[in-house]
Amino acid sequence: MKRFISAALCALMILGLTSCEQQTDEAPQVEPAPPFSVLDDVIEGRRDIYVIVKNLESSYWQVIIEGARDSSDKYGCNVYCSGSYSETDWESQSRLLDEAVAAGADAIILAPDDSVKLSDKIDEVYATGTKVVLIDTAANTENYDICFMTDNLMAGQQAAAEMIRQLYAKGHDDSEKLKVGIQVGSPSSQTISERIAGFLQYWKNNAPPNWEVIHDIKCNYGDLDKASECATELLEGYPDICGVFGTNNGSAVGFAKEVRAAGRTDVVVVGFDYSPEMAELISSEKYTASTVLQRQYDMTNRGIGTALELLDGADIENKFIDTGIVVVSRETLDDPDVKEILSHN
Amino acid sequence: MKKAITFNDGIQRRWSFLRVMLVYLAVCGIGIFVMINSINKLMKEHDKTLTSQMCSVIAEKMNNSIEYMTTSAENMSALLSAQKHDDLAKLYEDMSDLQGDGYVSLGFVGEDGELFATDTEKEEFEKWGLMEIAYEADPVSISAPYRSGLTGEPVFTMFARMTYGSGKSCFLFLTYPLKEIQNIAYTATLADDTEIWLMNAESENIIQCAGSNKYAIGSWANAMLTFEQSMEPADKEAYEEWKESLKLNIPSEAVVYHIGDVSYTQVYSKISFMDGWFLVVRVPSSAMSSAMESFRTIVLVFVSLLLAATMILFLLTHRRDEADRAILENLSVHDPLTEVMNRRAFDMAVQNYLSRPIKPECAMLFIDIDYFKTVNDKYGHDAGDKVLVEFAALLKELFGDNGLISRYGGDEFLVFAINSDKEMVDEKMKILNERAHAIRPVTEKEDDPYHVSCSCGGAMCPDDARSFEELKSCADTALYEVKEKGRDGYGWFVM
Repeated sequence: MKRFISAALCALMILGLTSCEQQTDEAPQVEPAPPFSVLDDVIEGRRDIYVIVKNLESSYWQVIIEGARDSSDKYGCNVYCSGSYSETDWESQSRLLDEAVAAGADAIILAPDDSVKLSDKIDEVYATGTKVVLIDTAANTENYDICFMTDNLMAGQQAAAEMIRQLYAKGHDDSEKLKVGIQVGSPSSQTISERIAGFLQYWKNNAPPNWEVIHDIKCNYGDLDKASECATELLEGYPDICGVFGTNNGSAVGFAKEVRAAGRTDVVVVGFDYSPEMAELISSEKYTASTVLQRQYDMTNRGIGTALELLDGADIENKFIDTGIVVVSRETLDDPDVKEILSHN
Repeated sequence: MKKAITFNDGIQRRWSFLRVMLVYLAVCGIGIFVMINSINKLMKEHDKTLTSQMCSVIAEKMNNSIEYMTTSAENMSALLSAQKHDDLAKLYEDMSDLQGDGYVSLGFVGEDGELFATDTEKEEFEKWGLMEIAYEADPVSISAPYRSGLTGEPVFTMFARMTYGSGKSCFLFLTYPLKEIQNIAYTATLADDTEIWLMNAESENIIQCAGSNKYAIGSWANAMLTFEQSMEPADKEAYEEWKESLKLNIPSEAVVYHIGDVSYTQVYSKISFMDGWFLVVRVPSSAMSSAMESFRTIVLVFVSLLLAATMILFLLTHRRDEADRAILENLSVHDPLTEVMNRRAFDMAVQNYLSRPIKPECAMLFIDIDYFKTVNDKYGHDAGDKVLVEFAALLKELFGDNGLISRYGGDEFLVFAINSDKEMVDEKMKILNERAHAIRPVTEKEDDPYHVSCSCGGAMCPDDARSFEELKSCADTALYEVKEKGRDGYGWFVM
C-alpha cells in the first residue's frame, strides 16, 4: 500500500511540475447551414447560380440575397441561396460548396467565412471547372475567377478618417488625451483584419499622438449577445473612451445598442453597414454616429452578371473589383448616393 | 539518564518519521524546481539566440533581394535615361507588354505628372496616393503594399528617377507582387513551424510572408489582434518592451510569450530598404527546443523515479525498523511468561505517571498468590506457570482497561489503577478474590478440589502516599495485614 502511495506522490509531483494552465476562448456553437433554396422561379435551360452567404440572419446579408434575387430576372438565370448562421462557421460553407458542385452549379458566388481555412475547398471547386466568383471577402488563393468586394484596407482608412472628423466635430482637440476602442466579429477574417489594418494605418498617420487606440481589441465571434457584452466591457472598462469602431455589422450593432442603453452621448460610434440599430443612432440628434456603407447589393448583382459573362466565354482583365463605399452620417443621409444604397437596405 | 517509557512513544516516532520524510520531500522538491527552472531558462535563451540568428539571416536575405530589386530599377532607369527617349508615351507603348523580371506591370510618371499606365493602375495611383511616393524617389522609393486590381493580390510599387528627351525628369515605376519578397522570406528551416511577417512599426500592421498554412500567406492583419489578443497577461509587459524597442528603431530584439500552452519566441529585424517596416519571425519553442525538451523530460522522469525509489526504500526500512523495535520493546517491557509488564518497565511507567503535575486519583495494589510454593511443589513448575498465566490474564481482564499490571516477583503482582476511586478498585479486588478460586493448577478433577486464592493490599494516591516508593510500601503493608488475617482476601492501607 505504501508503495502505491509513494508512486502516486511522485506522479503528482511530476504532474505538478509539468502541467500548464490552458486557456480556451472558443466560439459559441451555431446552427448548421440549411440546404439551398431557390430565390425565384426555376426555368429549365437557364444557368444555375449558387450563392453562399456568411450570415443568413443579418440585415447586411439580406441585401446581398436581394441582389441575387433581382439578378435572376435581370440576367435570366436560376439562383439558389444558402449560407451559414455565423460568420465563423466556415465548415458549413465548405459543406455547401460540395453540395453546390454535386447539384451541378454553373457558377458559385461565395462570401467566404474564413479566407484561409476555405482556400483548399475553393481550389477543389475551381478545379471542377465551376466558375467561382468571390464577393465581400477575398480568399488566399489564386483559384477563383473574380472578386467583387470592398477594398477593406481603404474602407478601414476611411472609417478612421470619419472617426477623426467626428471626434474633432465633437469638440475634442489635439492636446486632449482620449481613447478609441475596437471590436471585431472574427479574429481570423481577412476582411476584418484588413479594415483594422487600414484603420490603424490611417490613425497612426493622421490622428493626434494623444489619441490612443485601445490595444485590447474585443472579439464577439459573430454572436450579437457577445457583441453587446464586448461593447459594455469597453465602455465601462475605459472611462476616458471617446470613440468606438465596430469593424463589421454585428460589432457595430453591439456598440449602437450599448451606447444607447448607457446614454453615452459623449462617445462617437463608427461602424460598418446599416443595421436598424445604427440607423437609429445616426438619425438621433443626441448621438454621434457614422457608418461605412458597402455596396453589397452590387456585389451579388454584378457578381452574377460577370459569372454569366464568364460562362459565355468573356475574358475579363481584372481579378479584383473594388465595389466602393460611402460613409453615412446624419449630415449625409440625404445625399443621392447614400439614398441609392440605402434603398436596398 | 534513563529514558522514561511513555504512552506517546509510538505516535512520536511516527510523527518524527513523517517530519523527516516531509523535509526530504521538500528538499527534493526545491532541488527539482531549481533544476527545471534552470533548464527552462537555458531553453529560453537557446530559443532566443536561435530565432534571432534565423531572423537576422532572413532579414539579410530580404534586404539583399530588395536591394537587388532597387538596383535593377535604378539600372533600368539609367539605361532608359542613356537612350534619351523623346516620347514617353511611345516608350510606354513599347515596354508595357514586356514580361519583366518578376514584376506585374511597368509604367512611367512624366515630368508634368502625366501617368502612363493602365486604367486600373491610374485608379490605384489615385486611391493609394502613389504619385506622392513617386516624388519621394531619390533615386528609388517603395510604396506600402496594397491590393492590385489586376491580380487581386497584394503588391507594392517601386519608383526610380530617370530622364528623357532633353533632360526632362520623370519616374519609372515597377509593380511587384508581394509574393516576391514573401518567397525570399521563406526558409526551409523549420518550415512548418516558422511564421514570418512584415510589420509596420507605426500602425503595427502585419503581412504574413510564411507560415504553416500556405493560404494565410499574403494576409493583412494587425499585431494587436494576431499577437496581443490571445497572449497570456503575464507576458504583456515583456511584449510591450519588445514593441518599444521596435519603435525606437533598435535593429533587433527578441521576446518570449505564451498563447495557451504554447510558448513562442518572436524576433524582429530591421529591413533597411523599407523604411518603417520590420521582419518578424515567430517560432514555437516546441520546434526550437524539441531536443532539450526531451532531455528535460528524461531528467524529470529519472529524478522522479529516483525520488519514488528512495521514498519506497525509506518506507520499507521504516516499516522493518518499527517491527524490530516492537519485538525489542516487548522483550524489554514485558514478562515473557505472563505478558504483563516486568518490574523495570512498571517502575518507570508509574514513576513517569506520578511525576505529572496534574493527575487524577489512582491506586497501587500489591497482589500475592497464596501458597504458590505449594503449587510448584505439589503439581510441578508447569502447573505453577499455568496458574501464573491464568492469574495474569484475570488481572488484565479486570484492570487492563485503565491500569498497568506487572509481575513483580515470582508470584507477586503489582497493579497501578489509573483514574480509579477506592470504591471502584474495592469492587474489582472483591471480584479478583472470587474469580481466583476458579484457577486450578491442573485440569479439574473430582477428587482434587485444590484451587488458587490470592491476597491483595491497596493504597490510594494521593490520600495514602504520593511517591511511588511510598505507595508501594503502603500497599505492601496492607497486603501484610491481609496475610496476617489468614489470606484469601483484600484490604486497604490504614495509617
